[in-house]
Order: sequence, then structure tokens, then C-alpha cells
Amino acid sequence: MKAQKVKGLKPDRSLGPNAARIVATRLEELRGFADDALEPGATEAQHEMRIAAKRLRYLLEVTESCFEPVGKPARLRVKELQGILSDLRDAETMLDRETGIASLESLLRTRRELLFARFQEFWEEEKTVEALDRLEATVS
Amino acid sequence: MARPRDVSGLDCEEPFELAAARVVDVRAAEVFAYAERVLSTEDIEPLHDMRVASRRLRAALEVFRVCFPKKRYKAAIKPLKELADALGERRDRDVAIVFLEDFIAEAPSGDRGRLQILVARLREEQREANEALSPLVSEESLADLRGRFDDLLGAVRA
Repeated sequence: MKAQKVKGLKPDRSLGPNAARIVATRLEELRGFADDALEPGATEAQHEMRIAAKRLRYLLEVTESCFEPVGKPARLRVKELQGILSDLRDAETMLDRETGIASLESLLRTRRELLFARFQEFWEEEKTVEALDRLEATVS
Repeated sequence: MARPRDVSGLDCEEPFELAAARVVDVRAAEVFAYAERVLSTEDIEPLHDMRVASRRLRAALEVFRVCFPKKRYKAAIKPLKELADALGERRDRDVAIVFLEDFIAEAPSGDRGRLQILVARLREEQREANEALSPLVSEESLADLRGRFDDLLGAVRA
């Protein structure tokens, strides 16, 4: 998935306002996948949301000091989200191998269900919503 | 997993293009720092660290893309993407092997034989992934990649 183009960046302007534009775009991108990704079996949307989370996380690793005090809590939530979605992806990939080994497939299906439930719960947690809302308010 | 290095002296008031040079320089150095033991299948952490570093560098390049001349940008990101893809292919097998080897111990005895065959198949894929990765992490290839990043950074610092 290609990252959405960020409009209005100016190399000769300072880092802060440029970073704010990029964070705003990446955050919108991440949230844009949520409705689809929260549907059971929406593996493609979950994969795209994982990539969007990764992009936002790495961006905040570099620029969060420009958005104190909200940058770091947001980055930590996004990192955790990326971890859940990565584990979910790993389970999906292994299931795609269609090994025909009953105990393995049963374990992977259970793992996928638990991770998906964790993803839904995490996305709706007050700490996640608040961290992302505060970041959005800071960069917009 | 390795933590990202701090980009010392990064200032939100400094010009975007100077911040670009500083961040990309640090993130590129991280990629090269893990190259030495990356082909080991006994210790899979160096490969994981190099893969994560390559993803951080790609992310930094995407962030600061507007600061770099197009031609030099493309010359740097293309081989970086090839390297990242090759690291990803190896990593996928590493993760699957570790998961299955843990599972075999607790799996029903009737499934263990087939699980061991599956691990053997993944070991073969891991070896193939290493063969594809090997030329990309040779001294020569990495020196070439480093040179492309030096050119890229030189354009911004000039």
C-alpha cells in the first residue's frame, strides 16, 4: 500500500509545521481503515491498517518532540496496535498455508479470534481514543 | 528488537531539509550496523534488527521525500526496498519456524511427524531466502548502498 501524498510540505520551512501536516495525514489514513478492519475476516483492511500504524509510529519516533506532551502517548498506543495487528497477520499467513494439521489449524484459528477481539477492544479503549484525539487536536 | 537511535540535536524549529539529512543519516547507519551477522539462522535477531532498521529508514525517506532530488531519491530507495523485501522473506520463515518448534512440544503425538515435515520445508525456504539475501548484504552491495545515501545526503547538505 502506497502512503497517501501529503500536500503543502515546504523543505525550507521548519520541521514542526511540516511534521504536523504529515502526522495529520497519517493519522487520518490510520483511522480511515478502522471501520473496514473492525469487521471479522477483513484481512486486507487489517493488513493496510497495520501498515498505516507502522508509518505513523515511525514518524512519531522522529517527530514526537514537536508535539509534546501528546506525541509519546500516541506513539506508544500506535506501537501496541501495530503489534496486535502484526500477530494477527502472522496467524493469517500461517493459516493460508493450509497444512491440514488439525491441532495447528485449531490453535491458529483460536489465536486469530483472540487477537481480533483484542484489536477491537484496544481500538475502542478510552486510552487509545484519547491519545489519538489529543494528537489530532495538536496537529490540526 | 533494537530501539531506534536518538537523532541528536533534532530541533522542531530547524529547516525541514536539515532535519531530513540528520534523520536519514542516523536511520541509514542503523541499517548498516546489523549487517555483519544477518545471514545467521542460529541467531535470528540481527536479521530482525536489520529489517526493522530498513523499515524505519524507508519510513524516514517517505517523510522527507520532498527534501531530496528525485533522481538521487529513486537511486537510494530502490535498492533499499529490494533489501527490505529480501529481509522480510527470511524473517517470515524465521517467525514461522520459532512458532512451530514451540508448538511441536505440546502438539498431539499424532501430529508431530507432519509438523516436523512442515518445519523442514520452512527450513528449506529459509535457506532459499538467505541465498536471495546474500548478494544484497555483501560488502560490495552495502558499500554501493551507503554511497547512494551519501549522494542523497550530500544533495541536501550542499
